[in-house]
Amino acid sequence: MTDEDDLLAAEFALGLIEGSEAEVARARVRTDAGFRAAVAAWSQRMAPLLAEVDPVDPPADTWAAIVQRLEPAGDGRDNVVRLERRARRWRAVAAGATALAASLAVALLSFPHGVFERPRERRSPAPLVATIATDKAAPPAIVATWSPATRQLVMVLTGPMPTPPGRVHQLWAIPADGKPRSLGVMPDAPRLRMTLPDAQAELLRSGAQLAVSVEPAGGSTTGLPTGPVIASGQLSDA
Amino acid sequence: MRTMDGLTSGGREAQAELVLLLDGVARREPAALGELYRRTSAKLFGIALRLLGDSGEAQDVLQESYLQVWRSAAGFDPARASAVTWLAVIARNKAIDRLRQRKPGSSADLAEAEAIADDSPSAFDRASGSDEAARLAACLERLDERARALIRAAFLDGRSYAQLANSEAVPLGTMKSWIRRGLLSLRGCLEA
Repeated sequence: MTDEDDLLAAEFALGLIEGSEAEVARARVRTDAGFRAAVAAWSQRMAPLLAEVDPVDPPADTWAAIVQRLEPAGDGRDNVVRLERRARRWRAVAAGATALAASLAVALLSFPHGVFERPRERRSPAPLVATIATDKAAPPAIVATWSPATRQLVMVLTGPMPTPPGRVHQLWAIPADGKPRSLGVMPDAPRLRMTLPDAQAELLRSGAQLAVSVEPAGGSTTGLPTGPVIASGQLSDA
Repeated sequence: MRTMDGLTSGGREAQAELVLLLDGVARREPAALGELYRRTSAKLFGIALRLLGDSGEAQDVLQESYLQVWRSAAGFDPARASAVTWLAVIARNKAIDRLRQRKPGSSADLAEAEAIADDSPSAFDRASGSDEAARLAACLERLDERARALIRAAFLDGRSYAQLANSEAVPLGTMKSWIRRGLLSLRGCLEA
């Protein structure tokens, strides 16, 4: 990228240019990935300045207004169950946050009816969370959430966890008996979502450990970790 | 009530929690959005209010910002920017668009640009936010005082070339060349 192009990206990111000049830049953002990246880079270069801005509490009715404008989360019967769960979590969030209590009522009203039915679903176990770190003092390398009701394990990479060349990361569950069971080889992605079969889902209870080991390509062939365990964390109530 | 008091504070655990909340938002969980709002709205409102100077308009921008977060949280990549930075930039860009719309026919639609900037290479490594802030501060310090003040006024107060030229009583071309020189020095310093 030429300096001229990068300066245009900066001018657009900072909002210095207006009118037709800004229109031209906007068109390039849409069509030119390199230019788009340059705009994003300038935003992020300058973003630390925003730390200087003092927080100000927004007017109390803002949240309720946002909730009313949320697009429906989807359609179809399948969503009813998920909406129930969302509503429950939402209530959990709102408990203790009185400012949210009023808007919560509005929020629930704006979702499909039937939210409070299905008592069986209401007893389903709550999600568990683990922060998986390379050592206790380090920031978490992975934040994992386990939702027993959907058997979904979601992992978000939050810190560096480099893979040595030709090696892979393998994820293990270590339940109360202390014996590691493989949950699979981790794809190299910032965000993973896996739906676990019943046998694996059984292992993920509060108190169980999640651990990551370094293994040869394709994963451990012995059924147990063969390489070093580089990060671990315990599942606990969210 | 815990609220974010700066882009770089709040600790690693708080940052990790924001990432987790954004993942919940990406899965369309209103509870996650609610909690994210509870933790971050004062910061975002402060940014919008500073740029717009009008509480009603800042409130509109705040609404639009969280609606955009609701729509585009799946595009957030923790490897590229911290959660707080991502949110703050959304609010700033929405506010800038709003500022420019005050003048008819001059919409820059910057927020849209940011929203589709997903496939950009990493500009942030995963270094802690405070390192980024310290480096930016040091590099701004190395600019001459005029360039520093102009760039800060553009980013923090949303001043355009035309407005800055007007308030400094210099031709537009002069203003552009002052700021462009400053931006190139800044980039050189940050990349050194």
